[in-house]
Amino acid sequence: MSSTPSLAHIADDRDHSSQQILLQIRNVNKNFGGLQAISDVSLDLQAGIITTLVGPNGAGKTTLFNLITGHLVPTSGTVHWLGKSLNGIEPWRIARMGIARTFQDLRLFNQMTVEENVMTVMERSSWLWQSGKNAITKRVDEVLAETGLFDKKTERAVDLAYAERKFLSMARIMASDAKLWLLDEPASGLDPRSFEKFVALLRDYANRGVTICIIEHNLDIVIQLSDRVAFLDQGKLLAQGSSQDILKDPHLAAIYFGDHA
Amino acid sequence: MIAYLQNIAVLFCINAILALTLNFIMGYAGIYSLAHTIFFGIGAYTAAYLALHVTDSMLVCMAAAASLSAIISMALALPALRVRGEYFVAASLGLQVIGVTIFAEWKSVTGGLGGMIGIPRPNLFGYVFNDDSAFLALSIVTLLAVLGIIALLVRGTFGRSLMAIRDSESAAQAYGKHVNAVKTISVAVSSGLAAIAGVLYAFYMSFINVEGFTLEISILLMAMVIIGGTGTLLGPVAGAALLMTLPAALTYLPFLPPSELGAIQQIVYGIAMVLLMMFRPGGLVGGRSKEKSA
Amino acid sequence: MLLVQLIFNGLQTGALYALIAAGFSLIFGMTRVFHAAHGATFTIAGYAFYEVYSVAHLGWPAAALTAIAAAALFGVLLDRWVYAVIQRHEGSFFTVFAASFGVAIVVQNVIAMAFGRGLVTITTPLSKSIELTSGLFVAPMTAIVLLTALICFGLLQYLLTKTNLGIGLRALGENPVLIEVYGLTQRKLSQYAFLIGSILVVPAAILTAATTGLNPSMAHHVMLISLAATIVGGVGSLRGAALAGMLLGMAENLCLAIIDPQWSEAVTFVILFLFILFRPGGVYGRAVTT
Repeated sequence: MSSTPSLAHIADDRDHSSQQILLQIRNVNKNFGGLQAISDVSLDLQAGIITTLVGPNGAGKTTLFNLITGHLVPTSGTVHWLGKSLNGIEPWRIARMGIARTFQDLRLFNQMTVEENVMTVMERSSWLWQSGKNAITKRVDEVLAETGLFDKKTERAVDLAYAERKFLSMARIMASDAKLWLLDEPASGLDPRSFEKFVALLRDYANRGVTICIIEHNLDIVIQLSDRVAFLDQGKLLAQGSSQDILKDPHLAAIYFGDHA
Repeated sequence: MIAYLQNIAVLFCINAILALTLNFIMGYAGIYSLAHTIFFGIGAYTAAYLALHVTDSMLVCMAAAASLSAIISMALALPALRVRGEYFVAASLGLQVIGVTIFAEWKSVTGGLGGMIGIPRPNLFGYVFNDDSAFLALSIVTLLAVLGIIALLVRGTFGRSLMAIRDSESAAQAYGKHVNAVKTISVAVSSGLAAIAGVLYAFYMSFINVEGFTLEISILLMAMVIIGGTGTLLGPVAGAALLMTLPAALTYLPFLPPSELGAIQQIVYGIAMVLLMMFRPGGLVGGRSKEKSA
Repeated sequence: MLLVQLIFNGLQTGALYALIAAGFSLIFGMTRVFHAAHGATFTIAGYAFYEVYSVAHLGWPAAALTAIAAAALFGVLLDRWVYAVIQRHEGSFFTVFAASFGVAIVVQNVIAMAFGRGLVTITTPLSKSIELTSGLFVAPMTAIVLLTALICFGLLQYLLTKTNLGIGLRALGENPVLIEVYGLTQRKLSQYAFLIGSILVVPAAILTAATTGLNPSMAHHVMLISLAATIVGGVGSLRGAALAGMLLGMAENLCLAIIDPQWSEAVTFVILFLFILFRPGGVYGRAVTT
């Protein structure tokens, strides 16, 4: 740990100090019976900022997400959301606190229709009926329009084209009204036009105050999307700062492209 | 002739309720249970016991049967929360075997192998359903009520939560679904309503014993649901209708030995299940797709 | 002495259960197919032997060969003509399971129609009990059962550890991609798994016919034991399934010393149920993810 290069705290030239820090990860470790998946990671996520997690495969990016969403419990260290500790809280409860995520393999509700996929996310309670049905239907239509899926309302998720499925995954998280979005490779495989639409969508929601954290491999995407970048390798947070600074660094590039053992 | 048709109609209603409630957890929740008949039995034995010893009030019997069944269904819910697929089927099989043994051995309550006889007809606010036509009307009303309850649940918020959990439990959790609560409630509802079918059965037959609640019956119920179609609301009803009409239809075929009709009927089901799974997993009503969106 | 008697009976039952369970565990662990028709294989083998031996009186070698052929054919053809078709387009656990179930229902009823629903047994002097010491009755059949089981497991062990096919089969269950290395395909290995798994029940079926007898609905009990032993022993572990089968057989018999025979099956299931709740991976199995 002490051998971490001094790149660890590169100054960010934009002034983000006015943005509220909503998620605080402090000295988190995750150990799987001998395998140290995450080592002493500390990270802040602020409202309205898009942070991207980059790093080689197996660096622990998805594991970090799982630690935030409650699917995994830290071996040590803390995760605080809006000042409240998330340690030991069940995933569904954490979700209801305003944290939502997408999955690399999408995990859409395949046999349900597009409309149902979005609607079920909005229905916070699982019981008989949800009050404010009209408001929900309106919001569902809004979200579907924003993602270009309005015409596909009654189609099953499994029958959609690839890009449409990716947007449905986004529609779910948009409808969830979550304040923290954890997106796992949301843009991979998108054609240029869809990608532009995707970027616009993210910016829009970021400007509305949503905290966004993305796992992404494609460096072009990283450059275009991110306000900040955090570089993870072998479970350690090697650097964080603005995308310019991180991506210009040759040392990190070497690690990313695998020039070291 | 009328009496014969009325008889089939009542049994159809009972089987339809069982198939609907089994499909509620199988097709919508993805919980494949071989123990469904046990809850049918719990309902029947509860009604029989109450009617013979305490009261023949239909409402009391139904309420008691449904509640008891729902409580005992926690034994099924527990494995449902922890394991899926083959492991859960094995657990439900275990429950079925244990249940049958209890039905057969707990003589003081269930009458043991001899069962319970002389169960009176139920009483609703003073009116006793001695007339078979009246009982048929009661059965139809009950079936429609159960259908209504299930349709309401399935087409609304709860149904969507259920299907979301079926399609991707991890994603459902990630979007705030309380998976354990939803699964537990669905098992309780399914078992509680199956018990209602048991109540009708006990009152109608006036005699019940363990033979009505064996693994064979559980298997046939599953066959009904699969053949009718797991992914649809009315598929199970179609399956139940088939179960009722097939024996009658078979009697019209002259080349079939009458003593073997039961076996032939089951062979027809077996073949239907295999062929359907190979070419039309959604069942007769469902078509190609096995699972449903409401 | 009762206890010792029960132990001997338990050993015999246990050995038979171990063979049955090993067959199912091999198929399930390696192909992931919930072969609910495994009980049907057993019934077919048993009745085939009975038909050739007791009805046609063609001698036991012919009968044994017929039984083996019948079981093997049934298992392999089921895999090729039904399971493979389903797995090609959809192959979810439940669809395969339901089809398997359907087949089991058909077999049970066809046999009931052909042979009647009553118990049929094979009479042989070997099942006549000899009083070894006062109160202890053992038949030569018990020794035959144990010996057969040991030989079968020995052969199986050799097959799985020393032959390419065996290693391929083990890889199929754990790491399907690896088998391409041996020049085998998943399909072909699946056929072998069904072949071997189905043949494994034949000795158990024949011996059961000679001891407790056969009836068309015994497939249920066979399935229950297979399932219970496979899960308790741990999915993917043949050794676990065999040991669990032996244990279940012993437990079933020893329970007779304390409780009514009607509850013995229930006891098996209470054990199974508890394992599923608290340790679904079984004793030797891999971890289970839900």
